Amino acid sequence: MRVKLENLTKRWGNVVGADHINLEVGDGEFVAFLGPSGCGKTTTLLMIAGIYKPTEGIIKFDGQIVNHLAPKDRNIGMVFQSYALYPHMTVFQNISYPLKLKKVPKEEMQKHAQRVADMMGIGHLMDRKPAQLSGGQQQRVALGRALVKEPDLLLFDEPLSNLDARLRLTMRSEIKRLQMELGITSIYVTHDQVEAMTMANRIAVMKDGRLQAYATPDELYDRPRTLFIAGFVGNPPMNFLEVEVVRENGDYHARREGFDVVVPADRGVKAAGQGTIIMGIRPEDITLGDEGIVGEVYVVEPLGRDDLVDVRIGKADIHVLADPEKGLKVGDMVRLNFDTHKIQFFDPQTEQSLLWTD
Amino acid sequence: MAETIAGDEAVAGQGQISRWAQIRATLGAWGFMSPAAVLVTVFFFIPVIILFVISLTDLSSSNFSDPLTFIGLDNYAKLFRDRFFPKILGNTIRYVVLTLGFFNVGLALVLALLTTHINRRAGFFFRLVWLLPRITPSVVYVLMWRRIAHQPPFGILNQLLAPFGVAPRYWLVKQPWLFVILVNGFVGASFGMIIFTSAIEAIPRDYIIAAKVDGASTWQIIRDITLPMIKWPLLFVTTYQTLSLLTSFQYILLLTEGGPGLYTTEVWALTAYKRALKTYFGHNQWGYGAAWGFILVIIGIALSVIYLRVFRFNELVQEPKIDVL
Amino acid sequence: MATTTRDIGPLYNLRRFLGRSLPYVLLIISILPIVIGYAWLIIATFSYRTEGLFPIDANGNIGGWTLRNWAFLRDPKIWHVTLNSLGIALGMVVGVGFVSSLAAYALSRMNFAGRKAFLSLTLILHAFPSVTLLIAIFFVLNFISGIPVLGPRFGYNTVGGVALVMVSLELPLGVWLMKGFFDNISWDMERAALIDGASRFRVWWEIILPQIKPGLAALAIFNFLSGWSAFLIPFTFTVGTKVANLPVYLRQLISDTAPTNWNQIAAVGLFQLIPVMIFFIFTQEMLLNIYSGGAKGGV
Repeated sequence: MRVKLENLTKRWGNVVGADHINLEVGDGEFVAFLGPSGCGKTTTLLMIAGIYKPTEGIIKFDGQIVNHLAPKDRNIGMVFQSYALYPHMTVFQNISYPLKLKKVPKEEMQKHAQRVADMMGIGHLMDRKPAQLSGGQQQRVALGRALVKEPDLLLFDEPLSNLDARLRLTMRSEIKRLQMELGITSIYVTHDQVEAMTMANRIAVMKDGRLQAYATPDELYDRPRTLFIAGFVGNPPMNFLEVEVVRENGDYHARREGFDVVVPADRGVKAAGQGTIIMGIRPEDITLGDEGIVGEVYVVEPLGRDDLVDVRIGKADIHVLADPEKGLKVGDMVRLNFDTHKIQFFDPQTEQSLLWTD
Repeated sequence: MAETIAGDEAVAGQGQISRWAQIRATLGAWGFMSPAAVLVTVFFFIPVIILFVISLTDLSSSNFSDPLTFIGLDNYAKLFRDRFFPKILGNTIRYVVLTLGFFNVGLALVLALLTTHINRRAGFFFRLVWLLPRITPSVVYVLMWRRIAHQPPFGILNQLLAPFGVAPRYWLVKQPWLFVILVNGFVGASFGMIIFTSAIEAIPRDYIIAAKVDGASTWQIIRDITLPMIKWPLLFVTTYQTLSLLTSFQYILLLTEGGPGLYTTEVWALTAYKRALKTYFGHNQWGYGAAWGFILVIIGIALSVIYLRVFRFNELVQEPKIDVL
Repeated sequence: MATTTRDIGPLYNLRRFLGRSLPYVLLIISILPIVIGYAWLIIATFSYRTEGLFPIDANGNIGGWTLRNWAFLRDPKIWHVTLNSLGIALGMVVGVGFVSSLAAYALSRMNFAGRKAFLSLTLILHAFPSVTLLIAIFFVLNFISGIPVLGPRFGYNTVGGVALVMVSLELPLGVWLMKGFFDNISWDMERAALIDGASRFRVWWEIILPQIKPGLAALAIFNFLSGWSAFLIPFTFTVGTKVANLPVYLRQLISDTAPTNWNQIAAVGLFQLIPVMIFFIFTQEMLLNIYSGGAKGGV
């Protein structure tokens, strides 16, 4: 099923939950709503579910306006962060509750619920109460309950946040596999960018109720359109430096005190002559070498596989990933090489990218 | 932003649908509300109006079947001119102030402090015993007190005081006020006690520990930390119990019926009740009694609205997080 | 470092001991009247007569235990009256439980016109002394008496009428308490049920109510006790013994029989206390909470 949001807005008095959201989800697509807490992603999801009524705007399922439809008439399944299982019902009763409400005959209901439970790997737990299950098992029950009525649209509201790290990894791939197998259009709300990047076909990044970007993970990562996206996507986050780009002898130089890098012409031409602008470069696109910009090691944070090194160049701080083997210490002088094909430029006023515009 | 809707047909149509949905949701919610709404209307709203209307008439059991005769504010004028009005007003003030001061707030606070400064289980036990008067059926409870304050040779108090050389007497008749306050106070103290106890137990332990480290004695801790931190519960219990004492008369009715003698322990609320509903001679002066009662209703409404404002109960109310029905 | 030991001599220990035991002494003194009252009630029930706390036999000596005070149990009237008491109590349990949990659910979980107003009203009524309205309610009940079908069941001088008034006057407290319970239920669970296809009524009945069973039980016990012990409202709105409940019957015994047979009255009183004591013993903690819960705005 296709989902389309047009100018979708939710306000409570002066508080804006979602502000003129426009986006389209294709049939069978897996879309993630990504953003910090309070950015309006859950509000938008609940409007799609029919729990919240939009203040303005339209929600269309397969071209049909569904604003007036009650949640139960939208044929959706939803999985919640808190699982939202009914604690007084057994696993079987939980999974079959949507069927019971549809007045599905008892035998069919039993068969169907069992099949879904088996698919989720919880078929042997049918008589347990939710409180007797582990977090992962509870989440599978919740997923089973969402799937049992064969929904046209699956909604996930931070479903993995309450699981421990290892289980989260397993469930992540399991949800992805299930979604691909069943081909159900899915919208997945999360504040965890790794989840969004690994699972979704497209990511809608939100902030303060507004849609910041709606693009594939690769595009968000490589071609961020705003300063916010650039800083939000990627971990450790992108470095930002105020520079001025000037053309000298046919080369484009990005410069600031103690810093001078030649950038490729296709990028430099868009940034030159704009006065002071913001340059962005990801830590993984900077390498330590024998040549390059000189800086002083200020802080070293071991991350395990890498060391995250804070290098001072003049008044600026730059985060760099370094091989722990190098054994860098505070106070060491290092030289940095920048992968200039990955450099981003942003207008400091509008915070828009100077490279990627419509 | 409102003008963005204009001109867009689809959105305009949408607005209509959601207005309908709004109305439907409201109707559905009032389906849940209706039993409560009907009962509150019939037994709160309508009675307030009835009480006011009747207080403007001379309705009594002698002219019950006649059409209502409105006599304006005569009942109110009569009330203030009543020979026993000063006596009843004095009794009411005495009853409220003494019961409140000695028991409902005073003793309640002492009990809460005592039971929170001893062994937890023992404290719980004493609070539980103090709850007994409140849950004992009022008739049985007053029966016990009447026997305690009975005349010799039956009275229990006489028997207990005999070894101290106190002359036996019919306590209830000789000291009616003492027992009116005791009987009400023993019921009333538990309300404040429970509220103060939970307020005291909610004070973070860190403050107490810090004060102890600083060398404060138990009494200093109570004075400098506990009491300032339960200021709001104190104010709440005081105001709330003022209103309930002002309008309560059940225990006085059972204990002395306002006697012994003429109006010795009769309070305002009891006067209203007796005039209108339970007279010795079977002559119910509904109109006159309603005037007494309506003045209490006005005080009651005024004070409850003030509590609502002062204690900001409205702020406890959260917004529903589901829009649909 | 200077080593000055503090005075820990016998005097200090004595003061410490007194400080420790003083609260207990004060508390024990404070509960004496309650204990004595109960003690007398139990002693009197099983004796011919009492002087002070002592049972006295026919010759004026201490002693003389008897069961004759309990003869009232053979009187069918007492069982009729007990049944009335039970009716009022159960009416309270069911009436307040049902009506207030319906209204509280809407107030807690639904968005509708008039919600804010009704909530404020509930709070005001919660503090408002409803006894001041008894005079006017007398006329309301008289009016209901005149309505066919309803009148004989819920009018003046009927058990139904008494229960109806008691339920109504208890509603502000009930609604406020129940609302507190509903407020604590997870929104996601309710959203899940709505998406699963349940109507609001089914959500209320099948999903939400089962979650607040402890709260419902507490409210039920509270209402049972106040219905069972009710005096003022049955006393005001009933005449004679046909519809009297136990407290009103006891009151009639006290004022009608002259000279009052205190020992038989004590027995009727104790009879009436039995269910109260059972609840008291088995649900202490719950009772302590609920008797303050209504006032704190949520439990």
